[in-house]
Amino acid sequence: MRASQLLLQLFRQPELALTLSADSWVQLIRLLRQQQQLARYAYLFRQAGVFTQLPQYARHHLRNAEIIADKQYRQVSAEAAELTQLLAPLQVKPVFLKGAAYALQQGLPAGIGRTFSDLDILVPKEKITAVEQRLSVFGFLPEPVSAYDQHYYRKWTHEIPPLRHHSRGTILDIHHNLIPPISGRAPDIRRFWQQLNLTADGYQVLSLPAMTLHSLIHLFFNEDFKKGFRDLTDLHLLFAGFSEQDWEQLLQLAEQTGFMFELMLACRYTSYLLATPIPAWVMQQTEQYQPSKLRLRLLDFIFLRLLSPQHTLLNTYLDQLAALLALIRGHWLKMPPQILFGHLSVKAFCAVRDALFGKHQFSPKRPG
Amino acid sequence: MTITKQLYLPPFTFSVTTDIPLVAANLQRLYAHAPQAESLLVDYPLRLERGAGLRRLFKPQARFFADTQEPFQPLQLQQGYAMLEWGMNWCIAAHEMQYVIIHSAVLAKGDKAILFPAPPGSGKSTLTAYLAFNGWRLLSDEMALILPFSNKVQPFVRPICLKNRSIALAKSWFPTGVFSSIATDTHKGDVVHLSPPAASWQGALQQAEIVAVVFPSYQADTNLDIYSLDQTQAFMQLARNAFNFGVIGQEGFATLTAIIEQVPAFEVQYNDLTAVAAFLEQEVLADAR
Repeated sequence: MRASQLLLQLFRQPELALTLSADSWVQLIRLLRQQQQLARYAYLFRQAGVFTQLPQYARHHLRNAEIIADKQYRQVSAEAAELTQLLAPLQVKPVFLKGAAYALQQGLPAGIGRTFSDLDILVPKEKITAVEQRLSVFGFLPEPVSAYDQHYYRKWTHEIPPLRHHSRGTILDIHHNLIPPISGRAPDIRRFWQQLNLTADGYQVLSLPAMTLHSLIHLFFNEDFKKGFRDLTDLHLLFAGFSEQDWEQLLQLAEQTGFMFELMLACRYTSYLLATPIPAWVMQQTEQYQPSKLRLRLLDFIFLRLLSPQHTLLNTYLDQLAALLALIRGHWLKMPPQILFGHLSVKAFCAVRDALFGKHQFSPKRPG
Repeated sequence: MTITKQLYLPPFTFSVTTDIPLVAANLQRLYAHAPQAESLLVDYPLRLERGAGLRRLFKPQARFFADTQEPFQPLQLQQGYAMLEWGMNWCIAAHEMQYVIIHSAVLAKGDKAILFPAPPGSGKSTLTAYLAFNGWRLLSDEMALILPFSNKVQPFVRPICLKNRSIALAKSWFPTGVFSSIATDTHKGDVVHLSPPAASWQGALQQAEIVAVVFPSYQADTNLDIYSLDQTQAFMQLARNAFNFGVIGQEGFATLTAIIEQVPAFEVQYNDLTAVAAFLEQEVLADAR
């Protein structure tokens, strides 16, 4: 069995780990590391009560990742406290998104063993300049980005270029919407501002259904699926905690904001790949949003591959084709043709330049 | 031509794939005495590759990959081997959390080990090379792997990294030593790696007990000055040199505190290596129970 299929099976039935030979762990650990899923699988194995019986090799690497994830889990609330406090004088209470939001809710399974490389927050668009200025005074400075990327972020996307804390190195992404307005699909963000929860420690996050909707929009609007499997397992863990009422709210919000198609994809692929328990009535309702048979087969071709654990060294030509199609699809979704054409021309120029002169020669550098 | 070499460097196993002949040649020579293992489960698959495109012809580059991750920007091709050594250090510092890891050399006589934690420029590696070739067993040049809640240190035998002026010194002291090619003009200046003596490689599986912590500081105008450090000073200096102290938290704190409470700590300012070695052997080791 391909290692990638094996990992899917282990997600559904962690106790199968006991049947694996020591040798087969080498490739599994490698895949899990690339997918940043070592700590999450450690958690699955512990939950299934098999962790301590795994071979020493597997336990060693899983435990390392668990220690790093635990540290991040502890640290994120310190970062959240500081940001909340720094923005209070502006009358801005940031909404924590994605990985940070999962980790800030003690005990939420999606947050345990979930590592993330940056902190994402949502603030009102009219406050974003004030937020950026105030944070820069307190050590969150812009990362070096090329003039083109700067222009691209500010004009067309839903976020500003990332900031980086000068001493801790924390990367902060500040959003005013969930997807780029230039896509024409950006939701009326006020609907999400009406779906807030406070964590036990008083940090603001989206409600479980809204957070899940954001997670799946983010996944299916991407053009790069290197972390697709991780995002799919996020969805599984979020869905697994849903009550009947949460499902109703999710459907309602997806309907209102125009993301039923993406919800259909999320239900389809979590249930297919991870056997996520999704109520039959939800499946039925979302299936109404399926496209024509042909398009659905194309989507299946792309996503069944890209949402399975990927590793560049194991990929087949078909995987690469799927990745290319996803890249095209993602760009197409994000930008209208005339803008996409300009964007791709710039990126193509940079790619040719790097191929000729070597990577990083022209990357903007941090001062000092 | 691309070669892949497995390196069993207890407690870890690396595999290195490279298409750079200079890197392959250095690897073969410097790790010739590395331990052999029956069956190897690779912990860290590494690659060292020539940059693609026209850069292959014009100012060629070396790129380091830890599996699919590329943690550093490319370096000049002639710095490739040094880059591999630094990349191996990076792997351990970034992933290994089940040892308390200190930026420190570790040398032992028998099973009595001394930690030499020090910032770059303190002459630590020169001292390490000198001791390793004068009857001491090298456990590590860069990283001390301490078992949590103990004063046991795990060897991680690797070549010694010598910089700038110490290169010529070391070559004159150990004419039979196995040196890598020189990587010139790196962020640390010129560097060379020196394979430790066979005895150190043979002890690669043998843990040792920490009996002292010595902070070396090379001073051109000081023959030998020894300062005994109090526990607070010693702890602070040790913690400052710890790689994963912040991540592993309580475990690291408890381990380092216990070590500092149990063993003496010194700062040694010197320009005479023979005098340092005499002090270590006649005073420090003699006092260790």
